Amino acid sequence: MDPKVKLELERLRADDPLGRSEDPFADFREVLLLGLEHRFRYRHSLGKSSRFFLALEEGVLLATRCERCGRVWLPPRPVCPNDLQVTRWTELSGKGTLESWTLCPRAPHYARTGEPYLLAYVALEGVSTLFLHQLRGVGPDALQHGMELHAVFGNEPVDHPLERFWFEPLEL
Amino acid sequence: MDDVVVLGCGLSPFRSSRFDGSIRDWVAEAVLAALADSGLEHQQIDQSLMAYESDHLAGQIGQGVIWHDTLGLTPRPTARIEGCGATGGLALRSAFAYLRAGLSRCLLVVGAERVGKSVSTATAGEIFAMSSDTDWEFPVGGHFTAYYALLMREHMRRYGTTEEQLALVSVKNHGNARYHPLAQKPKELTVDEVLASPLIASPYKLLDCSLLSDGAAAVILANRSWAQANVPRFSERPVVALTGSGCATDYARAGDRPRDALAHFTAKRLAGEAAYAMAGISEPLEEIDVAEVYDSYTGAELMAYEALGFCPPGASGPLSEEGVFSLQGELPVNPSGGLLGFGAAAGATGVAQAVEITAQLRGEADPRRQVAGAKRGLSDCHAGTCTVAAVHIFERKDI
Ligand SMILES: [Zn+2]
Repeated sequence: MDPKVKLELERLRADDPLGRSEDPFADFREVLLLGLEHRFRYRHSLGKSSRFFLALEEGVLLATRCERCGRVWLPPRPVCPNDLQVTRWTELSGKGTLESWTLCPRAPHYARTGEPYLLAYVALEGVSTLFLHQLRGVGPDALQHGMELHAVFGNEPVDHPLERFWFEPLEL
Repeated sequence: MDDVVVLGCGLSPFRSSRFDGSIRDWVAEAVLAALADSGLEHQQIDQSLMAYESDHLAGQIGQGVIWHDTLGLTPRPTARIEGCGATGGLALRSAFAYLRAGLSRCLLVVGAERVGKSVSTATAGEIFAMSSDTDWEFPVGGHFTAYYALLMREHMRRYGTTEEQLALVSVKNHGNARYHPLAQKPKELTVDEVLASPLIASPYKLLDCSLLSDGAAAVILANRSWAQANVPRFSERPVVALTGSGCATDYARAGDRPRDALAHFTAKRLAGEAAYAMAGISEPLEEIDVAEVYDSYTGAELMAYEALGFCPPGASGPLSEEGVFSLQGELPVNPSGGLLGFGAAAGATGVAQAVEITAQLRGEADPRRQVAGAKRGLSDCHAGTCTVAAVHIFERKDI
């Protein structure tokens, strides 16, 4: 391999994938692969959803309520898609019920969670939509549709503000 | 109104890696095949539409224009069409609009995507997960198998759909792929093998999930009057027309949809209804002979049967057990092998579906997967967890 090229190089001989007796691309079966990498960094604004993430610092869940139609949206929406009215923030109890769940034995590398992990749709008290988050402190066999859950806030440092909390079964 | 007819179809092989060529090369393969199929010269094409989902997967922005000049189509107009998994279907719909509006008389649709081993499976998963909400779904460890699993669990709870019924879809589609020489994963599977494959996100196992493919597909469409005047021996070949197009949308995060709709693809139902209305279909199961539906996951195919009116909500699992949608069934679905067996190359998929339906309606599919006497077919693809749905109807028009 060419020592004057710094990128990772791989040379291979490719066959005609169709295995034709007369390969029309016979002249082009030598292949060179390059190891390419792009890195991008964003200063990403959470925009008008920011207050939700800021409130997590205080252990509070917020959602947005539309004064016209009464719908409460979480993830928050500064404009209600039902009638395009500007919404207002409203504080939630953090309690909810389990709507659906899935057990994932392996976490994607960006997930920063233990394995296995559970993802769930939670019907939060006072919210019109279902909220997606992790379910912890419970095994898959104990899960039941409609079981009561609550948001739990952690003390460990996390990467993304959304990881400041998750859901666990509500112990009575 | 002048029919919009399919003049030529071409595919590159769908493979887990096509290091023998770049995506431009696969595009050229598919288009050369489509031109040969049509009997046209490339200069007769007056417009192209390029369907691809991801600039990240390609490592190239603006590749549609590059494909266009690779194909010698400058200075003609081109446009990129993008709608995640619905990309190919949206390109067909756009082609229909261009032709009906008189902006084009003979148009080339190309779909292609590099989803194979140019990046690791983990990176492909991450890039696709970036098509979910990167502020709300991605940061909690969300990924597409999990999103679909959350919908399917609700379907199972509501209707008693079983993991065995999901597995049957995988067995069917991998089996159908055995009869397609360009398919990525032809395989004779058993339900037990699907059930025993590694769990990804319950209830979905590896063999419930669609493939990651390198691939390209091309379709040449034209107004019938133009075709009659310009295509050699047009009247000697079977004529396949695009007779219905439907498109609908839903909230991007499935959790924002009405709660009782979690187990249903509402956008697909509405897109299907629109396409049926245009094509004059009232009883889809009776009036459609063959369908290619978006089997991103086995359960997504079951939900598609229901959304497209092939059966009532909740009935897809039991009907699947009866073999209604197998090659010998009342309405064969995914004879090509679908995304599970033929391959899944995002932007190429919706176009490849049109290629398969055209082959079926012409009676030119491999005899082992040819649906005898098929006169009317359907193609269906969607984005996300059915955020954008595009449904098309194709019909034989010479008989
Ligand atoms: Zn409102």
